[in-house]
Amino acid sequence: MAAYEKRRAAAAPAAGSGLGEPARAGAAARGLGTEAEFLLQAGVTAMVREALLKVLEARPEEPVSFLADYFEKLVLSSPGAGGEAAAEPPGLPQRLARALWYVRLAHHSHRTAFNNNMGMAYECLSASGRRKRPGVDGRLYSELLRRICRPGAAPEDVVAALLQKIQCRDHEAVPFDVFRYGVLTCFVLLEFAAKAGTLYDVLDGGSGPADKRVCQAVLHTLEDALGASDFSVPIRYLEAGSKLGPDCLALAMDRALQERELSVSMSREEFVKKATALFVAKVKPID
Amino acid sequence: PCTLLQPCLRRGDTGGRCGCRCGRPDPVRARCPQLQEIVFRNFYTAFLSVRVQRAGAEGSRKWVTCLRDYRLMPSPHTEEGSQDYFSLFRHQMLCDVDQVTAVRFILRQPSPVWLHFTIEELQIYPPSQKVTGCWWFAPPPQCGEGDLRQELPDPEKVSTEVQQMWVLTEVIRARQAAARIGRFDVDGCYDINLLSYT
Repeated sequence: MAAYEKRRAAAAPAAGSGLGEPARAGAAARGLGTEAEFLLQAGVTAMVREALLKVLEARPEEPVSFLADYFEKLVLSSPGAGGEAAAEPPGLPQRLARALWYVRLAHHSHRTAFNNNMGMAYECLSASGRRKRPGVDGRLYSELLRRICRPGAAPEDVVAALLQKIQCRDHEAVPFDVFRYGVLTCFVLLEFAAKAGTLYDVLDGGSGPADKRVCQAVLHTLEDALGASDFSVPIRYLEAGSKLGPDCLALAMDRALQERELSVSMSREEFVKKATALFVAKVKPID
Repeated sequence: PCTLLQPCLRRGDTGGRCGCRCGRPDPVRARCPQLQEIVFRNFYTAFLSVRVQRAGAEGSRKWVTCLRDYRLMPSPHTEEGSQDYFSLFRHQMLCDVDQVTAVRFILRQPSPVWLHFTIEELQIYPPSQKVTGCWWFAPPPQCGEGDLRQELPDPEKVSTEVQQMWVLTEVIRARQAAARIGRFDVDGCYDINLLSYT
């Protein structure tokens, strides 16, 4: 976020002189009278509609900052915006930053929006400046994945284990489908880690570290449900639902507490690490 | 395990289309001597009677009625129950259904509305065929409030969080990449047979 703020400050004056002025001048020259015609002519109507669509797609919690980000990126990416500077293609860091912004626009559960944004990010990364080798190579892709995971709640070595599974080698061309899968997996890992943190909060009951035996019982139950049969989908869902129901979990935790009276605690980091490791084990590696 | 023979139509006394059909499955000799459950799908049959042929003493065979006018459609003129699945259990039978050598289904439809009626997807299970031992047959564990320790975290909340974590892994499973990079190497080494001079 800090990076965005800086860029916005820098971009603000450029926006005034770059995008607005020529359009207004052109409209005045042609003597367009009505407001509606001006808006059409300047492309404002389409732009605002697009922005509204993005808001509806992403349904952000804070629409104002979302729109601010959106317009800022629009200024940066529009061809006439930066004047002379925009004539040369944007550099690698810029393209990465923009792709990162695109993929973060919508939550992955808004499938259409997420997939659209993913397409935009892919296009943005593959638009190579030299026009020699369009497409996303493994180096760009892996770098993007690393950046997605970097500030997240997931522990470093779990992220490394995940990247090991889904990243591509530097020279490899990354198909869109693999790109989508990789990015999605990173986002889901972050969410999973956050969920694990919340779960830990529930387990420790708001008072100090949680009991190791209880933590392990819950993790085992989850592992058991995850490792469930390879039956068809509805059966698998029912099975997991039954195994992860409150009754089963309560019994498992109760049994764990009966085992030994020696009470050892498990730290939050350890719990999140173990939980996310379960997730990473379920991720299908790219081949 | 048995097939229906061509049913014979017996017209009722009224002379209309209503009447009885009588289906007779192939005799299932010693392979299915005991009946536990009969499962079928109705097709516009109003009443069902079942007769079984049982092996008596010294080779004699006797037909006995083990189900009489079992109502499949509450109101024969209307659709209700007309295409439902039914399951008849051993304890619903009027007599013992051991040593069965043949089963006969007598279908009745008093309403003239339905021109054709039958039963479909007929399956007859012996006692041992029941699938057991799977998780969904196990009774769900019930724990009362008093059984559990006080210091236990709230199972409802734990369950909610854990289930959400499970859902996230399911998201990944459901939206896997169909495309492949197309790597031919194994652990960074190529199989010499895959390489060719160009």
